Amino acid sequence: MQFFKTPNLDFVSKRRIAYFISGGLILASLITLIIQGPNYGIDFKGGTEITIRFLVDEGEISINEIRDVFEGTPLEGNEIKSFGSSVDYLIYIEQEKGVDNTEATQLVYQILTEKLPDKTFEKLGEDVIGPRIGSELRRATIIASILALFLILVYIGWRFELIFSFGAIIALFHDVMITLGIFTIMGYELSLKEIAAFLTIIGYSLNDTIVVYDRIRENLKVLRSETLETIINRSINQCLSRTIITSLTTFVVVLVLFLFGGQVIKGFAFAMLIGVVVGTYSSVFVASPAVLEWQSRHGGKGRLKMAKKKK
Amino acid sequence: MRKNSLIKTIFVLVVVFWALYALYPTYQLYTMTPEAKIKLEDEGKMVSLVDKSIRLGLDLQGGMYLILEVDLPALLEHLADGKDQRFEELMTRVRSDFEMDINDRPVHTDDFLKLLEYRFSEAGVSLKEYWPDEGDSDKMILDKLKDEAKDAMDRSMEILTNRIDQFGVSEPSIQKVGAHRILIQLPGISDPDQAETLIGKTAQLQLRLLEKTEVMNRILKRIDETMARERGSFARPAEMISAEADKDTTSQQSETIERKDKVIGIGDLFGDAEIKDMEEAEMDEEESTASDSTLVVDERMFQSNPFLALLGEYREKGHEVSAPVENIKAVNRILERDDIKKIIPPDVEFVWASETYKRADRTYRDLFLLMKEAKLTGEYLIDAKEGVGQSAESAGRPIVSFRLNRQGARIIGSVSKKNINRRLAIVLDNRVISAPSIRSKLGANNQITGIGSMDEARMIAIVLKAGALPAPVRIEQKKTVGPSLGQDSIHSGQMAALIGICIVVLFMILYYRMAGLVADFALIMNLLVLLAVLVQFRFVLTLPGVAGVVLTIGMAVDANVLVFERIREELRTGKTVRASIDAGYSRAFTTILDANITTLLTALVLYQFGTGPVRGFAVTLSIGILVSMFTALFVTRLIFGHITARKILTKLSI
Repeated sequence: MQFFKTPNLDFVSKRRIAYFISGGLILASLITLIIQGPNYGIDFKGGTEITIRFLVDEGEISINEIRDVFEGTPLEGNEIKSFGSSVDYLIYIEQEKGVDNTEATQLVYQILTEKLPDKTFEKLGEDVIGPRIGSELRRATIIASILALFLILVYIGWRFELIFSFGAIIALFHDVMITLGIFTIMGYELSLKEIAAFLTIIGYSLNDTIVVYDRIRENLKVLRSETLETIINRSINQCLSRTIITSLTTFVVVLVLFLFGGQVIKGFAFAMLIGVVVGTYSSVFVASPAVLEWQSRHGGKGRLKMAKKKK
Repeated sequence: MRKNSLIKTIFVLVVVFWALYALYPTYQLYTMTPEAKIKLEDEGKMVSLVDKSIRLGLDLQGGMYLILEVDLPALLEHLADGKDQRFEELMTRVRSDFEMDINDRPVHTDDFLKLLEYRFSEAGVSLKEYWPDEGDSDKMILDKLKDEAKDAMDRSMEILTNRIDQFGVSEPSIQKVGAHRILIQLPGISDPDQAETLIGKTAQLQLRLLEKTEVMNRILKRIDETMARERGSFARPAEMISAEADKDTTSQQSETIERKDKVIGIGDLFGDAEIKDMEEAEMDEEESTASDSTLVVDERMFQSNPFLALLGEYREKGHEVSAPVENIKAVNRILERDDIKKIIPPDVEFVWASETYKRADRTYRDLFLLMKEAKLTGEYLIDAKEGVGQSAESAGRPIVSFRLNRQGARIIGSVSKKNINRRLAIVLDNRVISAPSIRSKLGANNQITGIGSMDEARMIAIVLKAGALPAPVRIEQKKTVGPSLGQDSIHSGQMAALIGICIVVLFMILYYRMAGLVADFALIMNLLVLLAVLVQFRFVLTLPGVAGVVLTIGMAVDANVLVFERIREELRTGKTVRASIDAGYSRAFTTILDANITTLLTALVLYQFGTGPVRGFAVTLSIGILVSMFTALFVTRLIFGHITARKILTKLSI
């Protein structure tokens, strides 16, 4: 079986359309992130998060019912979310509610037991993050992300050429912005696990990008008389089959993870899901054309150094 | 060429067998029936099986993760003298600095003392005004305060270790994190609330009188008689193991026992392994190889004196009653029974010693009968120090001296005067540290003698001071995962992995035919080796770790896809099958290397900065990538080599 026999699609000439789409998406993401900001999860904002499960036999319970329970108590107005089903709920209490972290959990259980005497619930889990830990985690995450990016760029710069690093940065920025935007619009929370997902998206998108770059590098040596545009186009086409298949298998497993992986890693899987699609798109339409743009603007008439290198 | 490929084949087979061997205990553990589990627990072999199986993170098996912070500001305030309004104002400011994000602090530091120094010198206040005892210059005082802080940290670790040990979690982990934090991980605990109370409460030092030896002996004898009567006719240990769990309601108990032979048997006593003392668990294992039963009793004595037999016959001065550590749980079970509780007078209780000691190849723990009322508590203690005895009887031997404040001295004075020659137990967190006899009236300065070694003396001094812990600990971070959430996660993780594998495997066969089958073999091998590496190197599998495994499934085939596409290309140019395979592999190699190294770099950074669950993800992802390089390139290449070696193929099913 074969999806494409010998594809010869002209991606490069259509790059302007791609720029338009990407630019639009990035702009939309930026606006969302500036106006609304990402929904930080408990790891970063601190506070107390309690997950409870009501006994299924006693029937469903609605969010409003639970919300009413806390009315008139010190915990009034706390955040209540469904945790994947109509009996599992997540209760979040902010740091500044004037209640001590450890007391807050006890208070929640006490209120629930008193006000819902005919309901039985089970404590699924508790998460308490002090204010200082929250800010420390934020700092560590930023350092980790910057370090990861830096290492990758150094590696690409070393293995390929600086211009490729530039293309890769553009593609990464593109992927992370768009994924984060969609992630935020869809209402998912950003916690440590999701940061891990974003870093993996970076790795994955690079993986795709590098495969194409590698082919460009190879073709530069073989097809010396061709223009860079032709070489890039041919390289993308040669890799297309692989790009589609790998993206497909990865997409499918992530989709399975999203559908069946359980509530705890839903956000993680969602970020990966979007990331795989955007990452695949960017390696074809953004990363390689970016090299071309840079070269045509700054590289003058000269060829890429790599074409001359023996290696 | 032939020989070379034989060696390679053997190598691959060895890896496969190793992986299967490493994974077998895990397979055994997770396919076992509940009955078989109970049986294995009774035999004491469960611990070693769990040890050889894959380790699950807190998010999968349930449990508790805590980060405690020693409250430094409170400690420093406690140490300060002559606190006035200016002091309070300055301290409030330092505290609020400390609560801020590091970038907003006046000095960008994590060090509370530096913030303190900054605010005090800004206000032109010398530290000597409030901490005169700690040194002459600001620098000296700061150094001394730093030592005090470190000391407080050590003491907190000591108390917490002691308490958690008492709580009996199977694999607790207690670590220092940075200068002022303690990370505690309690996997698989069933009652996080109780654990938190235990950890959160302040250490209690108590001085309590021992009940007279005659009284204790009388009570022990009555317990023994009750137990003996209840057992009635002697049941063989084998029957006792199979006996149903005792649900002893006091009223109807005696009848049920006589009819159904429901006794507290060896199996019953040890069947309940929910909360298992580490020490016992270890002993369990050793003992189980030596004998059938896990309790250490004299068989004949056990028949006539079932309770006293548990305590063993060993007696010597200072160790009136003791039990081999293997029997402690059984003894506790008996002491907690309602009918036995009735025998023990309400004003006394049995308390175990904190230390164990070895005699004739057995480890014992002393048991004391103490008055419930504490004559004195830690709040009266000012200081404790280890040292070497000066008096005639303790000359040259390790001692611990402690000092009480005036009120404490008055209380202990009157208590000791009335109880000369009785023994006074020093109890910390409900464990007896030592129980010296009162020789004369006691005052503010006291000594604990009869300590085995200097190390032990130091420990007791630490523990004594710990009782008067100046700095409270605060819970900075807590994560508890209930067992059912963990179960849910395991279940959905397994399901996702299974469905993911099936889809990818089917797709590869559909798309690449025979070559796809080869890639599938590599994929399955990749997963087996990945899991085996996790088991062998004791990595912890977390839920994001499972996600990493699933992701590996998707990405591991990538290497093969790259190679296969390349082979197809080469075939199209008209090369022979063998030449195409060779070219495909060698051309795709650099691409695969470059692509995987970038992902590996991200995983390494994640490992370095991430905590618990995220680390698990980084681990499985990195191992998955590394293993996939081996299986997807080396192993598949070898298989193709075998296929093409048989006969010269003109067509390749790819």
